[in-house]
Amino acid sequence: MEGHSTHIALPQPHEIPKRDREDAMGAYLMMFAAWGAGLPLPLLNLLAAIIYFFTNKKTSRFVSFHAYQSLLTQIPISILNASAVAWTLRNLYKDYAFSDYFWTYFIFIGLWNLIYMIFSIIACVQARKGRFYYFWVFGRISFARYFGPDAVSLEEKEKPNLPPEGF
Amino acid sequence: MTLSIQHQESYSRGELLLRTIFGAIYIFVPHVFLLAFIGIWAGILGFLAFWVVLFTGSYPQSWFEFQVKLMNWSMRFTATIMHLVDGYPAFGVNGTSDKVSLTVSYPETISRGLVIVRTLFGAIYVVLPHGVCLMFRMMATGVLAILAWFSVLFTGNYPDRWHAFNVGTLRWGLRVQLYMTFLTDEYPKFTGKELEEDAAPIAEAEAPAADDTAPARDDASPATDDATPASDDAGSKEKPDGE
Repeated sequence: MEGHSTHIALPQPHEIPKRDREDAMGAYLMMFAAWGAGLPLPLLNLLAAIIYFFTNKKTSRFVSFHAYQSLLTQIPISILNASAVAWTLRNLYKDYAFSDYFWTYFIFIGLWNLIYMIFSIIACVQARKGRFYYFWVFGRISFARYFGPDAVSLEEKEKPNLPPEGF
Repeated sequence: MTLSIQHQESYSRGELLLRTIFGAIYIFVPHVFLLAFIGIWAGILGFLAFWVVLFTGSYPQSWFEFQVKLMNWSMRFTATIMHLVDGYPAFGVNGTSDKVSLTVSYPETISRGLVIVRTLFGAIYVVLPHGVCLMFRMMATGVLAILAWFSVLFTGNYPDRWHAFNVGTLRWGLRVQLYMTFLTDEYPKFTGKELEEDAAPIAEAEAPAADDTAPARDDASPATDDATPASDDAGSKEKPDGE
């Protein structure tokens, strides 16, 4: 057999060991890593997601998929949060005014974090059930990396775990 | 939980002096440096595990194993630095030692109620009573460690009972740590002795544990068997980054 371009069937919930389901769930919990460390540094979450991905990428495809998706979704949110922290610190230390632009951005970031947290918790729950959960864009990228287009032809529509819509 | 630190027939005086004079440089600094960093990661996992246990009632197994391995490493280091064993402690969470071993059986469930009780009142009903007892015990351990140092230097022998007592102190502290980090539901006993009920379940659990996971993994592997023909023990483990 050459490479892995042959069939890669999607693991279904009953085929995935509890350990893998727990590991997949853990990937999304990395968004709370900064809370665990007690430091309000958004990049710590990203760092935790990177560490988690690299420590789990050689386990099962199911775990790797979730860890990779979690890592990818952390990137934009970490950049947004880091910029908010940087802006806040700049205003505080240089004694600049907190403009309307700042507050708009701050509220935007807050909402974005809230949405991200809700979807991450949903993904977390789904992963623990042995289900796939696809984030917008990142779900497809992660799926392509760990399962690829060959997975599609094998799946029947009534199975719980399916490729992303239109894949 | 079983912690065993082997009592050697004889101890090397040369190593004892080497550890005493240069131990801070070649044992303490590198190990503590790495343990501190990995300890941060363990702390993060421990914090997240609290929530996982609270919502699911079980500690994620791979996280549990990581925590136990880290404690194992810490014990290898501590045993060496306390002159309880000779040799250089192996680095890493996957390191092993033929003289120091820590085994903790994985609990399938952890009481959610106890998790809350421990978090809110653990300082009162666990840390305080055990802390007071351990404080006195550690003083005694410190004295014995100094006496044992001279004993090893002059006779090459670490008195058996002193060794057992000092290992007992470590064991006791470890039991408290296991309880407070939600790795077990069993309230730590006020003793440093090896408990019979600890040894028995682990002996039983060790053999089936491997059997339990293997079939589960095998079940999963057919889903991807084409992609991973070469999985061996990892059995079941797929090789996702094959691309």
